[in-house]
Amino acid sequence: MRCGFCGKEIPDEVDLKEKACGACRGACRKIHCPCCGYANPAIPAFLRRSKKPKEAPP
Amino acid sequence: MSAESPLPRIALVGNPNVGKSVLFNALTGAYSTVSNYPGTSVEVSRGHCEIDGVRYEVLDTPGMYSMLPITEEERVAREILLHEESRVVLHVVDARNLERMLPMTLQLVEAGLPVILVVNILDEAERLGMTIDIPLLQEKLGLPVIGAAMARKRGLKEVREAIAGYEPRRAVFGYDSDLERDIARVASLLHGEYRLHSRAIALLLLQRDEEICSLVALTEGEHSVHVEKAVNEIVFERRTDLHLRISLERRRVCKGVLEGVVTQREGREKTFAERLSDLTMNPWTGIPILLLILYLGLYQFVGVFGAGTVVDFLEGTIFEEGINPWLVEAADRHLRWYWLHELLVGEYGIFTLAMRYAIALILPIVGTFFLAFSVIEDTGYFPRLALMVDRIFKRIGLNGRAVIPIVLGFGCDTMATMVTRTLETIRERIIATVLLALAIPCSAQLGVILGLLSGEAGTLIVWTFCIAGIFLLVGFLAAQVVPGERPMFYMEIPPLRMPQPRNVLVKTYTRMQMYFLEILPLFIIASVVLWAGKMTGLLQGLVDLLTPVMRMLGLPEEASAAFIFGFFRRDFGAAGLYDLHTGGLLSPVQLAVAAVTLTLFVPCVAQFLMMKKERGWKVSLAIFAFVTILAFTTGVTLNFVLNATGILG
Repeated sequence: MRCGFCGKEIPDEVDLKEKACGACRGACRKIHCPCCGYANPAIPAFLRRSKKPKEAPP
Repeated sequence: MSAESPLPRIALVGNPNVGKSVLFNALTGAYSTVSNYPGTSVEVSRGHCEIDGVRYEVLDTPGMYSMLPITEEERVAREILLHEESRVVLHVVDARNLERMLPMTLQLVEAGLPVILVVNILDEAERLGMTIDIPLLQEKLGLPVIGAAMARKRGLKEVREAIAGYEPRRAVFGYDSDLERDIARVASLLHGEYRLHSRAIALLLLQRDEEICSLVALTEGEHSVHVEKAVNEIVFERRTDLHLRISLERRRVCKGVLEGVVTQREGREKTFAERLSDLTMNPWTGIPILLLILYLGLYQFVGVFGAGTVVDFLEGTIFEEGINPWLVEAADRHLRWYWLHELLVGEYGIFTLAMRYAIALILPIVGTFFLAFSVIEDTGYFPRLALMVDRIFKRIGLNGRAVIPIVLGFGCDTMATMVTRTLETIRERIIATVLLALAIPCSAQLGVILGLLSGEAGTLIVWTFCIAGIFLLVGFLAAQVVPGERPMFYMEIPPLRMPQPRNVLVKTYTRMQMYFLEILPLFIIASVVLWAGKMTGLLQGLVDLLTPVMRMLGLPEEASAAFIFGFFRRDFGAAGLYDLHTGGLLSPVQLAVAAVTLTLFVPCVAQFLMMKKERGWKVSLAIFAFVTILAFTTGVTLNFVLNATGILG
């Protein structure tokens, strides 16, 4: 998933599922970009195409 | 403030936006804790990883540009380096900006820290025609250097190997002989125990770093007088800005290091996207482009099409002519209890008010707004907007980075208030929170207002000038009043691209679904509260209380309802305004006054609670009181001016 603001790849390790970040009690369905903080919508599981990052060139 | 861990520590340092967190996540996996650094509001992530059977604590420090801190984040990052011993310090830099970032590598090495340099985002640099000779850079710097593209996991294995096999060695970079003499003179006077090397402490002392001066005074005790005297003598003798001199020296060294390391493919012509990108960032061409985007995207698509055509069809045809008469008739026939009849299909009924507002009014407006927003977002326009408005935003105490919460505020102010935490200083966060609470309408409010005012060009112009003027004026005044630091802003600009239909549709659907699920229960609750108020007579009491205020604003008594709705949600208040206008209760002057006052009016309950969470009770209540007073004062003044001048008459 790419951040809608800075265009950087949001890594797999940032949980792309709906998850509370601690700012409120519930989950806001937002993925905050670790680079710029922009709030990207958390895409529902049924719309998320399983896509692995491309392998690095040798 | 020392926090010793029994595990060897890996600290990640570097400028913001270079992929530190991506590397942190790649090293630690999903298991990490985020907590405020003691005594500050700066968040620091800690996690663990295992390399070659050794378990490490991994620490993701806040972004820093130099060892000489300006922002709170930089101060915390340096504090960590000063007081928490690390086995390895991974300095992450952006391959595209090596020359600008390498001076900090020099500072880290000078400080005696065990540095491994990670040249990240190598893939993007290569795409731009750059070639970086990593082995040569490693040889010149005398420390391990890894080329990486962490978003693709490229270089992760090498980083782990470099950590496992790290052996301390000390590289030295020489400055001009007179500067070297000064450094050596100050360093020789330092006898205490420091986590940083005495050369780094001496350099920071010569740059008049107050925290380091205090640290030296504390560590050296009585002896610190000699250190201070030597520093003062050097600064006097040199009669120059040593901070600038040292920075220039470091740049000179870096330039030498990078000679032969970075090569750029020449002769490439700019593509259409690159030329268009340049035009969007130049104020002379960028502002007309921005106005065109606002006209087509917001005014025509959201205002005229969404809030006009689609709402007319859904609200006028489907609800008012189809669903509601059928429901009311069914309720008339089957419901004997007046209170239940009122609760379901009455003036503030769940079906006749809450469902109608949510489905027929707000949903099509936010739907068209989010569609336009997602198209603009997917092109990569927002970071260009950030660069273009940077200069104006600096006048109002912010910088281009504040475009993120401000743009998000047009979607939902509550979430945007939370995002203000990504701004670098407390001063910026307070100013952005005030501006969001005051002059940034949320998507539904903006859509309704654009829809209502699209048929009244004069009213729309008055509204636009009032809101933009107050945004700039309040920002400018806040920048004078609120104390604090003024951080600089720069960001890497991603390529301008054609929006991908799938991306746009998926994001629009997700945003609409999220918004609808959030507002529907709140609208039903608001409707029930209003119904209870009507049944008990409390609502009428509140309307009576607001009547003199409405009179001062030159508005009919019925307008009180829209303001009371606005307390629950901004969009609920805007929908109330829509009802008033379609009911033929407002003249153009009254419409302008109501639209301006409601836009500036108090933030909704959710936004207020978020403000309280982010800024605390004191600041939130002060903002609440300020916004309310300013909204009504502006409304009263506007009513007076419009009536006195006959504009819109």
